[in-house]
Amino acid sequence: MADDILNEVVSPEDLTRFERLYHEELHNGSVSRMTQFNYSFCLVRSEFCADIRKGILLLEELFKTETEDIDRKRDYLYYLAIGNARIKEYTKSLKYCRAFLAIESENSQVQHLESIVKKRMETEGLKGMALAGGAVLALGGLIGLGLAMAKKGNKESGSK
Amino acid sequence: MSSSGQYSYSYIFKYIIIGDMGVGKSCLLHQFTEQKFMPDCPHTIGVEFGTRIIEVHGEKIKLQIWDTAGQERFRAVTRSYYRGAAGALMVYDITRRSTYNHLSSWLTDTKNLTNPNTVIFLIGNKMDLEGSRDVRYDEAKKFAEENDLIFVEASAMTGENVEQAFLETAKKIYQNIKDGKLNANMTESGVQHKERGGPASLGDSSSSDKPNCSC
Ligand SMILES: Nc1nc2c(ncn2[C@@H]2O[C@H](COP(=O)(O)OP(=O)(O)OP(=O)(O)O)[C@@H](O)[C@H]2O)c(=O)[nH]1
Ligand SMILES: [Mg+2]
Repeated sequence: MADDILNEVVSPEDLTRFERLYHEELHNGSVSRMTQFNYSFCLVRSEFCADIRKGILLLEELFKTETEDIDRKRDYLYYLAIGNARIKEYTKSLKYCRAFLAIESENSQVQHLESIVKKRMETEGLKGMALAGGAVLALGGLIGLGLAMAKKGNKESGSK
Repeated sequence: MSSSGQYSYSYIFKYIIIGDMGVGKSCLLHQFTEQKFMPDCPHTIGVEFGTRIIEVHGEKIKLQIWDTAGQERFRAVTRSYYRGAAGALMVYDITRRSTYNHLSSWLTDTKNLTNPNTVIFLIGNKMDLEGSRDVRYDEAKKFAEENDLIFVEASAMTGENVEQAFLETAKKIYQNIKDGKLNANMTESGVQHKERGGPASLGDSSSSDKPNCSC
C-alpha cells in the first residue's frame, strides 16, 4: 500500500512541457543536463512503457557522462531504480538500489524503495531472480554497473 | 494480509510538504508517520511519499503525503506535485533566517499551482533549538496572519506540535468539505471520498491499484 511512489503518474501537461524544452534544446544543438533530467523525471513516471524506457535511456546517458557531481549521480541512480521498477524490471531496479546503498548505506528513501521492489517481486514470484541479481552486483559493484550501462546502447534512444 | 482494518477509511486527503532544503520536511513526515526522529536525514531526491490514517470527527481519513526535495535543482520537477493538493505544509527553520525569507516565493508557487481552497499551514521547525533562534515567533505569526495561513512552531526532533500541524490541516479540509467549499472526488480538490473497501490512490485516475503498464 505504500508503493504509490511507483504508481503515481505524471500529468500529460507536465510531460509535454518538459518534452518541448528538451526538443528545443536538442534542436539548438545542446541539451543541458538539467533539461534532460527533468524530461527523464517525467518520462519514468509516465503510464506508457515506451516513455519509461526512453526515460531510462536518457538517465543512463546522464549517469555515464556525469563525472564530477556525485549528488547528481545519486539522483540518476534513484530514478533509474524507479523507472525499472515501473516496467517490472525488478532485478535491474534492485541493482540500482544496491549501487546507491553501496555508496550511502543509510539512505532511508532508497531503503524504502528497495523494500517495495522486493515485496513486489515476492508477490509476483520472482524471488529467485532478486537473489541472482544481488550476487552479480556483489561481484561487479559499481564498475560492473558502468559496464552494463556502456553496453546498452545509445542506438535505441529514439529521441536523437 | 489483513486489509480490512488498514484500508477502511472514508476519505483520502493529499498533502504536500514544501520549503527550503534542510528545514526538516522529511523529519517532520517521519515523526508523523513513525513517531521517530531521524537524526542524520539525507537530502530528499525528487519526492518521497508517506501515509497515515487519522481520525477527524469520528471519520477515518487517509493522508497521502508528498514530501518534496528542497534543493534548488529539483524545483522545476517538484512543482508538478502541487496540483491537486488539499493541504500544503510550508516549512521554514527558526534557526535560519534565509529559509524564512524565502517563504514568499514558496507561497507564490503554492497559490499559483494549487486550488483556492488548499489549506496552507506554516510550520516554524526546530523549535527545540531556542538558543540559536533567528526568527521571532511573533514576526512569523504576523506573516501568517497577513497571508491567511495557519501557523505553529514545531520540532521534528521532540515531536512537539507535529501531530497538531498535520491534524489541524485535516480538520480544516474536512470543514471545507462540510461547508461545501470543496468537492470531494474532483481530482483538483485533493480529496477523495470513498465507499468502505479496497485501497485507492489519489491524484490520477490511472494510478489506483494496478501496476501502471503491462509490458
Ligand atoms: N534540532 C533539530 N534538528 C532537526 C529538526 N528537524 C530536522 N532536523 C535536522 O535537520 C536536518 C535536515 O532535515 P531534513 O528533514 O532532511 O530536511 P528536509 O527539509 O527534508 O531537506 P531536503 O530533503 O533537502 O529538502 C537533519 O539533519 C535533521 O536531523 C528539529 O526539529 N530539530
Ligand atoms: Mg527531505
